[in-house]
Amino acid sequence: MDLTTSKKGDFTVAAISGRIDTTNYNEFETQIMDIIEKGENNIILDCENLNYISSSGLRVFLITQKKLMGTKGKLHLCNMQPAIKEIFDISGFSSIFKIFNTEDEAMNG
Amino acid sequence: MQKHINIKNNIEQLPLLAEEVEKLGEEWKLDMPMVTNLNLVLEEAISNIVFYAYNDKKEHNIDITTEKIDKEIKITVTDDGKPFDPTKKETPDVSLSAEDRQIGGLGIFLIRKIMDSVQYKRENEKNILTLTKLI
Repeated sequence: MDLTTSKKGDFTVAAISGRIDTTNYNEFETQIMDIIEKGENNIILDCENLNYISSSGLRVFLITQKKLMGTKGKLHLCNMQPAIKEIFDISGFSSIFKIFNTEDEAMNG
Repeated sequence: MQKHINIKNNIEQLPLLAEEVEKLGEEWKLDMPMVTNLNLVLEEAISNIVFYAYNDKKEHNIDITTEKIDKEIKITVTDDGKPFDPTKKETPDVSLSAEDRQIGGLGIFLIRKIMDSVQYKRENEKNILTLTKLI
């Protein structure tokens, strides 16, 4: 798993690549929490290159959402691969998160 | 033909498991989403065992038997941990909002949603979990 961040307008875009599973979800969590603790309140998670997620990774998405709701921030997801979207659908996460097709849509959403 | 994947109760072995599932995918000519789903199901089942089945610090073997008969994949996971029946685990309410959603509890739910059948039995001091999926 790699996370590459960039600043675009009001958003910090964090592009995830690789797998988020039981062996590395805490690394993902630490990196996301670091971004929030630096005061970034509006985050786009670009999932284009995220090709695997298990429940431990989903847990971090939920923690991030809860945290940003507490600070009145925004969490937008975009570019999700169909297999990942299916896991979000099954888990009921598709109705919890704002999921956009493209990064541009996520910026304007 | 039955195949065995033998792993230890150590979470560092998950990448090894992922490799084995990919090999099976190639052999059985499964599409990528199916391979990913099987990988996910096994990760959830195995990580549950690794984290919760043992009170001692000893090394234990977890046996995974895989088999494809016609259009059905059958996976059996056997461990010698304490009794645990995942089919009895309460289902999380996936319709709740983010505020009300509990963190965690999704692993077994994903197994049950992805697979077509999930059966549990306790035999000879072992947990035997049998999962099937039609392809």
